[in-house]
Amino acid sequence: MNFDFSEDQHEIKRTAHDLLAKRSPLERVRAAAESRTYDDGLWTELVELGWPGIAIDEQHGGGGLGVVELCTLLEEGGHALAGSPFLATALCGLVLQAAGDDGQRAAWLPRLASGEVTGTVGTADALVPDADGAALLLLADADGIRLLERYEATVEPVDAIDPTRRYARVSAPAGAGSPLPGDVEAALDRARVAVAAELVGVSARALEMTVAYVQDRKQFGVPVGSFQAVQHRCAQMLLHTESARAATYFAAWAADADPERLAEGAALAKAAASDGVRETTASAIQAHGGIGFTWEADVHWFYKRAQLGAAYLGGGGAMRARLARLAARRVEAVV
Amino acid sequence: MDLTFSEAELAFRDELRSWLADHHPGEMPHGDEDEQYAFRRDWQRTLYDGGWAAVHWPSRYGGRDATLTQSAIYFEELGRARAPLAANVLGLLLAGPTIMAWGTEEQQDRYLTPILSAEEIWCQGFSEPEAGSDLASLKTKAVRDGDEWVVTGQKVWTSGAQHSKWCMLVARTDQDVPKHKGLSYFLMDMEQAEIQVRPLVQITGEAEFNELFIEEARIPHENLLGGEGNGWKVALTTLMNERAGLGFFLQVRMRNVLDDLVTAAVQNGRIDDPVVADRLGDLHLRTENLRLLAYRGLSTIERYGQPGPEGSLTKWLWSETNQLLAQTAADVVGADALVAGTPWAYELLRSRGNSIEGGTTEILKNIVAERVLRLPRAA
Ligand SMILES: Cc1cc2nc3c(=O)[nH]c(=O)nc-3n(C[C@H](O)[C@H](O)[C@H](O)COP(=O)(O)OP(=O)(O)OC[C@H]3O[C@@H](n4cnc5c(N)ncnc54)[C@H](O)[C@@H]3O)c2cc1C
Repeated sequence: MNFDFSEDQHEIKRTAHDLLAKRSPLERVRAAAESRTYDDGLWTELVELGWPGIAIDEQHGGGGLGVVELCTLLEEGGHALAGSPFLATALCGLVLQAAGDDGQRAAWLPRLASGEVTGTVGTADALVPDADGAALLLLADADGIRLLERYEATVEPVDAIDPTRRYARVSAPAGAGSPLPGDVEAALDRARVAVAAELVGVSARALEMTVAYVQDRKQFGVPVGSFQAVQHRCAQMLLHTESARAATYFAAWAADADPERLAEGAALAKAAASDGVRETTASAIQAHGGIGFTWEADVHWFYKRAQLGAAYLGGGGAMRARLARLAARRVEAVV
Repeated sequence: MDLTFSEAELAFRDELRSWLADHHPGEMPHGDEDEQYAFRRDWQRTLYDGGWAAVHWPSRYGGRDATLTQSAIYFEELGRARAPLAANVLGLLLAGPTIMAWGTEEQQDRYLTPILSAEEIWCQGFSEPEAGSDLASLKTKAVRDGDEWVVTGQKVWTSGAQHSKWCMLVARTDQDVPKHKGLSYFLMDMEQAEIQVRPLVQITGEAEFNELFIEEARIPHENLLGGEGNGWKVALTTLMNERAGLGFFLQVRMRNVLDDLVTAAVQNGRIDDPVVADRLGDLHLRTENLRLLAYRGLSTIERYGQPGPEGSLTKWLWSETNQLLAQTAADVVGADALVAGTPWAYELLRSRGNSIEGGTTEILKNIVAERVLRLPRAA
């Protein structure tokens, strides 16, 4: 039993961290968000490093690594709040690989892995990240998931409260596209774990920024971080972050190594991360005081990303309901 | 990352499982505290005879040199089997490891085996009426008199003192130095007339803990542990050991209780109430989070030689979750959970102590803020 990254996994995470710290500091995130653009150069670099295909099989031109490795990259992406179609494209690859048929995989996975095209995953009633510009859309509804090419779908760009990422509403006429034949729920669970990983990064960064701020900011002649109410808020932020992290790493490992535990793991991870990140990013604003409420401070970008991510592919409430059903099924199997 | 158990870990688990299947003591009697205690003492003797009393101890002291993961498995399996807690839990988890860390060879030879066999039960005499969270300000005084120390003072909330032969006692031996420096740690024999043990009745109506009135009790100098003036450091060893491993037992036990609650909700149909389902889902999330955090903590210790933040977070999360669980039972089970003397009612009352015993939640949050997040010390 070793609940720690291997040396290689640590190395992937460190490298990603350093790269994003250099290439996507918050000034750039801000500049991109304010002008509603992406840093295309960053995406090109990520593609060259093989990020979009990291968890895609080698036979389809990917890196052949697992969900654990993908999650280390996504966590760092969340930490940096880097703007790019990376998350959406990676999710699209994960879901297609898990639930697509041979033809669908052969047609699309190599192009997603190489960054030739971008893709996304979403539901018709929600905001879908990076749908505008994606060549491939995986649209989930009660009947399953349909694979749609861009021209088969209606994509309406939307200004979401999170300007660090582009969102859209997606719909398609009945019968358009081709269904994914595989286990759709299991495929979506992989995507949920990946989203949770990004949220863990967002949460961790919100805590880091807050700790740095309250150490610096003085009131009543002392750093506000010496006040217990502030300290306890920070401690709670750590508990949320670490709980979400442990659940997400477990679920990522289950996706790769023990798929029978994936359903529970994904629900745990997405619930812990969704609820946790909403709390930590809200707390970050509170602990920054008036500054925290200004456009000028950077904490609001994290709060905004958190809100969209928490709702994406099922929020805390939906995941807790799933956990309750899983628990009920387990005891009913025993009774 | 690899969360599968190794061959050796699985072999250890299977050996324990089959031993537990053959030696399980059955269900603990409900109600009478003394009867329960005797039951737990017998259970510890059974564990001892099988070589299973304290797997985390070194083999030369009767343990099994278990790795951290094996210790976790050990406590999980005891929990899974719904086995009771050994009677001498403070001896096994606190006194033993503290004596191993600080004791002389003579002390180790004298005290360790009777702890394992439940022959000599231990209690922890730290808290005082005016020194709880601020433990270093304690006033119980020990004065050197030739080969002995003479102790006078009062201790409070001393769990299990009524059954104990020995007490881990922290007392002030020097009034003239800053408060942390003037303390010493003693192994005090409870069987003397100068120590009065008075039961304190708890919220549950039981008396697990006691007050100790100590009027010139005598402790031979050889029972000083870790040297004069080192009491604070030695006490920290005890406090650090307080939750080692036990967390896994408590987590599994909580998970068992949650399963019982879900069963009740399925049977009485309340599972269909979305609010109830949401709470049960949340409790499921919290109990699993606790297990995962604890396991992650083990890997952190294995890698870095010291615990990460998980260590400080798990007791807090456990106490909060156990309290929520008991409170949710009142909604799910209904009136039956409020009938005095039932297990649910007992938990509803007993769980209020979880966020106080072994360090309050507020103190744990202070520790996280100051020692993990490195925030400036509170004024
Ligand atoms: C079931 C049970 C069993 C116990 N068993 C033992 C035992 O065997 N041996 C033993 O020695 N002790 C034992 N204790 C005592 C326990 O360790 C103390 O109760 C605990 O440390 C708190 O101390 P106190 O009761 O004096 O509360 P206080 O320290 O007076 O605290 C009162 C309130 O103030 C808060 N508070 C205090 N200081 C701070 C601070 N700096 N910042 C924020 N809030 C603060 C506390 O969190 C609490 O809410 C037991 C307690 C219980 C409930």
